[in-house]
Amino acid sequence: MKLGSYEVKLEKKLKVTGWEAAAISILAILIALVLVSFIFLQAKVNPLIGYKEIFSFAFTNKFGLPLTINRSIFILLCTCAFIVPMKAGLWNIGMAGQLYAGALGAFAVAFAVGAKESPNLTLSPGIVIPLMMVGAMLGGALIGAIPGFLKGSFNTNEIVVTMMLNSITFWLVAYMIKDGGPFMGGGGEGEGYKLPESIFAPQIFGGPFTVLIALGLAAFLYFIFTRFKIGYQIKTFGLSPTAARYAGISSFKIPLLVFIIGGLIAGLAGYHNFAAVPGVYKITQNYGNYGDLSFYGIICGLISQQNPLAAIPIALLFGGLTNGGRYVQGKLKLGFGIDYALLGVLMITLVFFQFFYRYKIVWKKIDKEV
Amino acid sequence: MWDFFARSLNASTIFTIAALGELIEQRAGILNVGIEGVMLFGATLGFIVAKTTGSYLLGFLAAITIGGLIALLYGFFTITLGGNQVVNGMGIWILGFGLTAYIGYPYTGPLGMDRITDFFGLSPFFFVGVALIIVTWWVFSKTSLGLKMRSVGENPSVAEVSGINVNRTRYLSVITSGMLMGLAGAIYSLNYNPVWSINFLMGWGFLALALVFFSMWNSFILLGGSILFGTLWQLSLNPELVLPGVLSRYIWRTVPFAMTIIVLVLMSTKWFSSRWGAAKPEALGLPYEKE
Amino acid sequence: MTNQERKRVDPLPMKETKHGDTVLEARGITKRYPGVVANDHIDFEIKAGEIHAILGENGAGKTTLMKILFGLVQPDEGEIFVFGEKVNFKTPLDAIHLGIGMVHQDRKLIPAHSVLENIILGHPRAGNILDLKTTAEEITGLCDKYGFNLDLKAKVWQLSEGEKQVVEILKALYRGAKILILDEPTSALAPPEIQKLLASIKIMTGDDLALVPFITHKLPIVLTVSNRVTVLRRGKVTGRLQTKDATENSLAMEMVGREVVFRLERVEVDRGKPILQVENLSAINDKGFQALKDISFSVHEGEIFGIAGVSGNGQQVLAEVLAGLRKVLRGKVLLEGIDVTHSSSLDKWLKGMGYIPSERVNVGSISDYSLVDNVLMNYYFDDEFSRWGILDYKKIRKLTEEIISEYGVAVPGPDTAAKSLSGGNLQKVILARVFTRKPRLIIANLPTQGLDVGATEFVQNKLLEAKKEGAGILLISEDLDEVLSLSDRVAPIYEGEFMGIIPVDQASREDIGAMMAGLKHRVAGI
Repeated sequence: MKLGSYEVKLEKKLKVTGWEAAAISILAILIALVLVSFIFLQAKVNPLIGYKEIFSFAFTNKFGLPLTINRSIFILLCTCAFIVPMKAGLWNIGMAGQLYAGALGAFAVAFAVGAKESPNLTLSPGIVIPLMMVGAMLGGALIGAIPGFLKGSFNTNEIVVTMMLNSITFWLVAYMIKDGGPFMGGGGEGEGYKLPESIFAPQIFGGPFTVLIALGLAAFLYFIFTRFKIGYQIKTFGLSPTAARYAGISSFKIPLLVFIIGGLIAGLAGYHNFAAVPGVYKITQNYGNYGDLSFYGIICGLISQQNPLAAIPIALLFGGLTNGGRYVQGKLKLGFGIDYALLGVLMITLVFFQFFYRYKIVWKKIDKEV
Repeated sequence: MWDFFARSLNASTIFTIAALGELIEQRAGILNVGIEGVMLFGATLGFIVAKTTGSYLLGFLAAITIGGLIALLYGFFTITLGGNQVVNGMGIWILGFGLTAYIGYPYTGPLGMDRITDFFGLSPFFFVGVALIIVTWWVFSKTSLGLKMRSVGENPSVAEVSGINVNRTRYLSVITSGMLMGLAGAIYSLNYNPVWSINFLMGWGFLALALVFFSMWNSFILLGGSILFGTLWQLSLNPELVLPGVLSRYIWRTVPFAMTIIVLVLMSTKWFSSRWGAAKPEALGLPYEKE
Repeated sequence: MTNQERKRVDPLPMKETKHGDTVLEARGITKRYPGVVANDHIDFEIKAGEIHAILGENGAGKTTLMKILFGLVQPDEGEIFVFGEKVNFKTPLDAIHLGIGMVHQDRKLIPAHSVLENIILGHPRAGNILDLKTTAEEITGLCDKYGFNLDLKAKVWQLSEGEKQVVEILKALYRGAKILILDEPTSALAPPEIQKLLASIKIMTGDDLALVPFITHKLPIVLTVSNRVTVLRRGKVTGRLQTKDATENSLAMEMVGREVVFRLERVEVDRGKPILQVENLSAINDKGFQALKDISFSVHEGEIFGIAGVSGNGQQVLAEVLAGLRKVLRGKVLLEGIDVTHSSSLDKWLKGMGYIPSERVNVGSISDYSLVDNVLMNYYFDDEFSRWGILDYKKIRKLTEEIISEYGVAVPGPDTAAKSLSGGNLQKVILARVFTRKPRLIIANLPTQGLDVGATEFVQNKLLEAKKEGAGILLISEDLDEVLSLSDRVAPIYEGEFMGIIPVDQASREDIGAMMAGLKHRVAGI
């Protein structure tokens, strides 16, 4: 293609450096934000004002900042839950279902120790809370194991299976908290029972302790994938299952393992969202929305190039954007669902920018004819 | 009883047409896991246009058009840019999911228009679906265009050296499939269940994807499969027809999804998998790069 | 040609040519890729009724020239004249319309479709609604004319290699090709099929068709088949010969620029005890057919056991079964006396097996990994290289650096990504990775496929070295000459059975060739 006296060509890239990848990702986010500003315009809102409100509420407001942090923890956990199977080349879009299962697991433990009946528990919170977390991890891992097992044994398509499980667990939760299910809350409003104060999640620096878990997990996963044998095996399988088989890596164990881990982490996200975020402490009526927002984990995982440490700032950014978006929705009278729209636009922009990981635009001056 | 069957066939129509769209592009080698996204666009835009203009025709036309356009976008990412088809499909799905949630929210609620005339509860679109199935079969097996499309899906470089424009053929299949998916979405929102709410397609796009795999790319098996699915879905909504009083109706809602998983597992048994492997378009999901 | 003009052209163009007219001429063809000049001002012409072979080793520029002549690639400079008129191919369709057809080495056919469907694919005479009857009649006519015998309704995946080649030839002829480009026409054929092909070629040239075979190193074929030879080296034409004036040695000199040793130094080593024992092995391939039927043999220390066969006769299944990558249907496999029939591939690596896979890129290496990570593929499971689950990258780096220097791998460093390595260098890394483990049994699956002469020599010498050090080597190769020059015992394989196990000094090329085609059967030797 010729432009004036320059020829523009596309050339395949041999390597993408870390800086290049980061630049592409940041560019993608910026473009997405620009595109979403059209939605602001359509609602007759000045985008600059819109974004200013979003960011100031999300990061500087004393009510907004904790909400942002909570949301970011959720997104970070979902991202990790997505990244682990993605390293093995497998798509975990079942985080929604896994987090519902995790929530069920946590509340099942609380239920078992009588939390629904009375606020006075025989077991100390120091035991119950870790047990709840274990319950959440088990719940998520069980649901996660299904697509992993099926993939490993029968090579069934994990995208369809995880999606199906999302719907299945959605209805399971619906049953548990409505229609006479065991976890029904007292108000008859179709939400789960509320946890007694003694087993609210402990707070650190004004936020739930799950922030430490999320950060620690991200760092731990980073090391697993750069230094550990199992991380090497997972990555190898993800890059080439045929080469991995040649190298003796099990094509049954790896899918199973990564999905169990992914499910386990998503289960923790469920625990965080419904049992650790201040002011909630129950499976809410709109639990389905949190399932939808778990898809931010997909985008975050893709943008961060499946690097758990890089995911931390991005999760924080997305937490702020979605949180601020919700706030601005009401304040500036934008339609409902700005955070959904942002989700969609971000994803497609990112998908488009994948192209730049493989090709670069080359400008060559055309030699003048002698 | 008739009501139940009519509703089942109506539900199956949407599966039929959406899955048929995906079958067409899969036979040309393109895998689109974002069917749900395309359907959401068709359903939402069709709903909005119909509601604001009061015309079903305009609604359907809008849905078909947007379906084709979104598919064109997908085709651009996949064919021209040569990106990973699963990533692109996920992108289309989440784009659809996110954008339609925002765009459609103001229109939440019933369509509020007179229903399209049907035959004692059986929607006219069922027959449209059957007709499309037959036409597709005929095109694929009896025409040169069909042979070209199949070849592009089996081995694009062979098709290229036989003088076929691979990219153009693939674009054609992608746009056709998008139009069908948009139509299916509109049938859902304008005929089967004319009430808008967020994510009201409830994963039907993914069920359609499973159906295409199940059908082994044969349009008649596809029709049979979608009728089965439609019936299963309707059953999950009305469990009292089979087992009254047993289990909460919420648990019943999980049945079609669980059945899909079971079907997928059955498909990996020996009997199924060798036939499936033989029927699979060899180049499915693989990017094609001209030398 | 505009689209209008194309529609008016008769799909079976009958250009009048006399025997001896120049039908295709290429002048000054040049094509550059980043870092290399693939074709450097190449001149070439061919006459009707002539067979003009183009000879050159891997990397000499043959493939590029071929693609240019067929319209798959545009040259940067140069002109092409067909039947005397200057032409500009933008796509293969242009070349096809002008009467140029190509028969590909990798058989550009669609296995799932029938012979007829493959031939009429994209053909104007197929019509919008497929007219299967008329086209079938016309094609049958072509078959009779040239002595081909094919069932048009058969699915291509059911055909033999030779039959698939016939389908491609028919496809080109049915499109009206007067000039046929043949890409390695004999490399995948057993000797008897080669004879059949040569007979058909005779008929075609008698009919004033022009044939251009592109050949890598089957020099005897070049001498038998062609009238003229043009030799390419590093993108340039280095020799033009009348075939009657050429010998194998003179051709080889032109190709490589130096004396080439045709027979490797025979290495005499005392044969030791059996390392590998296979008893009544049967296995099924991906399509569900029995690919191995009751195979029994053994490989001893210090010997190279060569399996000769045309691709698709079960060799790949055998390699996969022995490497632990495929399940056994029946039978036993013993490694140094230990039953490993159902052992995993990892188990076998640990027990002293080493496998060099036929696919360098998809199986033997990971393109996006650095060389360090690629070497790790065969070492991550060793306790030596990991502690408490953490990999010792320092040690692996050191090993990789040693491999790079000892094996002469031409790369900047151990962190280079595998995808930037040439075939030869990549194979060196894979070989080194396997050999440094000092395996007792080496399974070498098509170890020199696609490599140039230099790399091929290197690999073959390394195998002989390993044999000297007492390893037992199972060699699978589709190059009969390679098998005969390296092996101590030869087993031709046909349809999953060994047609015989013959000590190499008792093996004649004709005999082995016949056995590879299933025409002869000798009761198993030693």
